[in-house]
Amino acid sequence: MSGFLIGLAVGCGLLIALVRRRRSAIALFALQSLALGMGAIAVSTGYGESSLAAVALVLRGISLPALLALLRRRTPEPRPVAATLPVSARLLLVAGSALLAAAWLPDLGTGDRAAEQGAIALVAIGIAVVALRRPTLFQAIGLLIAENGAYLLAASIPGGVPGLIELGIAFDLVAITAVVIAFSFRIHRELGSGDTDLLRGLRD
Amino acid sequence: MAIRISCEVSVTDFPTVLVIALLAIPLLSAAGSFVVRSVRSADNLGRASALLTGGLAVGLAVAAIADAPGAVAAERWYVLDPLGGVFLALIGAVGTLSALNSHSFLDHASRGPASSRRARAGYWAALNLFWAALLAVPLADNLGIAWLLVEATTAASAVLITYSGKPAALEAGWKYVVLTTLGLTVTLLGIVVVFAASGADSIGALDWSALADEVSGMSAEAGLVAFVLIVVGLAAKVGWAPVHSWLPDAHSEAPPPVSALLSAALLPAVLLIAWRTKLALGGVLDDDSLRIPFIAFGLASLAVAVPFLWRPMPFKRLLAYSSLEHMGIIAIGIGFASPIAIAGVVVHVAGHGIAKSLGFYAATPLLRQTPAAATKPAVGLAGGSGSVALATGVSLFALAGLPPFPLFLSELMILLGGFEAGMPLAASATALLLALGFLGLAHALVEAMLGEPRTRRRPSRSARPLIVLTIASAALMLVLTVAGTMLLPGSELVEALGGGPS
Repeated sequence: MSGFLIGLAVGCGLLIALVRRRRSAIALFALQSLALGMGAIAVSTGYGESSLAAVALVLRGISLPALLALLRRRTPEPRPVAATLPVSARLLLVAGSALLAAAWLPDLGTGDRAAEQGAIALVAIGIAVVALRRPTLFQAIGLLIAENGAYLLAASIPGGVPGLIELGIAFDLVAITAVVIAFSFRIHRELGSGDTDLLRGLRD
Repeated sequence: MAIRISCEVSVTDFPTVLVIALLAIPLLSAAGSFVVRSVRSADNLGRASALLTGGLAVGLAVAAIADAPGAVAAERWYVLDPLGGVFLALIGAVGTLSALNSHSFLDHASRGPASSRRARAGYWAALNLFWAALLAVPLADNLGIAWLLVEATTAASAVLITYSGKPAALEAGWKYVVLTTLGLTVTLLGIVVVFAASGADSIGALDWSALADEVSGMSAEAGLVAFVLIVVGLAAKVGWAPVHSWLPDAHSEAPPPVSALLSAALLPAVLLIAWRTKLALGGVLDDDSLRIPFIAFGLASLAVAVPFLWRPMPFKRLLAYSSLEHMGIIAIGIGFASPIAIAGVVVHVAGHGIAKSLGFYAATPLLRQTPAAATKPAVGLAGGSGSVALATGVSLFALAGLPPFPLFLSELMILLGGFEAGMPLAASATALLLALGFLGLAHALVEAMLGEPRTRRRPSRSARPLIVLTIASAALMLVLTVAGTMLLPGSELVEALGGGPS
């Protein structure tokens, strides 16, 4: 896959960990997902089976941000939820975890080292976003960034992973994303905010 | 002699028909629960379909185990082997009992959000979907499909965890969805690495039966990365420490029959995928690489669980931390992988499932009788309802690992297996942590039975079903102890589970 598109996807992930507004995070996630879809289409040219996966990735890149935008509109926040850590600390943690993950990963022999490292970096960024951002919508995007990492590696394999990407994406849209969005609505209805720090009743 | 049934399916295809029925019945029951017109009809449908499904699951499992070591249904879209059979029997039995016990919980909860027919239908639909996905996990002959099925369990069970509608349940459900989905994403990356690094060209390469051959061309480094990613990701769903934080919350906030399914069926089902992956990658990785992740997660889980088992805490939360401890023991046994340790794992999976589900089923009448037990430790049960005291007592007694119950035997076998595998340090550390965990649970047992009650109790309802369930569970556990001692060590079943002659 094109190094530029991989870099764009990783860069968008890093920025999502830093931006304040949910709208900006959704736009960056859309850009990341579409970059991934475009990259998959480029790789799949000439491979009939995997082009379906590439189309599925593009559709995912359109539909998921649309659903997230709907969620944002239906769960208004009076003001952006303050981050637990300042921007500089978040940048250090997120970029550091992505770099460490990429450095740890040995050569997997797929023939596309940039995609291998980009995939593991995106998974690390997704985990960091879930850990560092409090709003439910940011945590949902964190999950989806990590999934983008797995799909990046799958899409970079010549011939793709027949069936797995399509099934995974279909399942994402039908079940997991639906559940995550339903939870976000309920949390907002219950607490008047999507701030997960307000959900801190269960402690041992 | 070829016997044919009317739809031209020969007896050789009979297992396939049963497998389809096994998965179709709960799915149809889930849909049917929205069609029926009354709450009572929804309950009856749920119970009837559970009895059918459970019977099929146990029947198929017995056939699979009896045919060890060969797979009963190789070359098909599903796998019915001895390893899957053990888990299928457990998931089938626990699912049936959870469905039968749901009526009692739902009636008690009917003053709350479960009062409407729609809410009741939603409960039965989610329970059946969750159970159907769980039943399919040991039958899935493909790593990718097994991953999808585990994702499916997340969606259905998250709805059940938040069934009470309380903020604490919402918190538990959110934590569960986020952590386990994140873990499963890491597993997905590991699966893609397996596919990419093995040079496979079709999804069939991820079939359990083909995987060992497919990965033979893979480098050891890539194999290790894939294995670590898959096991670490699944650890979040099994609830192994340090990625376990959803487990105590979800188990304590879910309705008791759902808690039983989560603890006694979901955790082992996900663990099965990690175990199958270990067996499949055995040709690429050395023994230490295969053992260390399991033993590390196991010891970490024991070390995290023990301090909590020493603390006074609400009954369901105590059972949740006990799950963390027992999943840790099972992980250690799989890591040791000697014949005696594998025999111990089989006994432990079954014994833990019976003892833990009994504990959760006892929680419904316990919470009805003593509502304060939802937030405070259960104390002085012996002075109250005899059936609740008997059920909780038997459950805690067995979970503490006291003889003659099977967890005493299985823990002993796993420890001996560690020495047999040449890992005395890990076995000694396990023994120490088990002893500490035993003291914690034994203290909780004494307090729960003989402590001074702090709150008034409501009069209890008919106790007969719980007494029958307790006696049946105790008898089953005793049978398991005898069978585990007499039949398992050195058996073909254990050899088929990867505990071949050392």
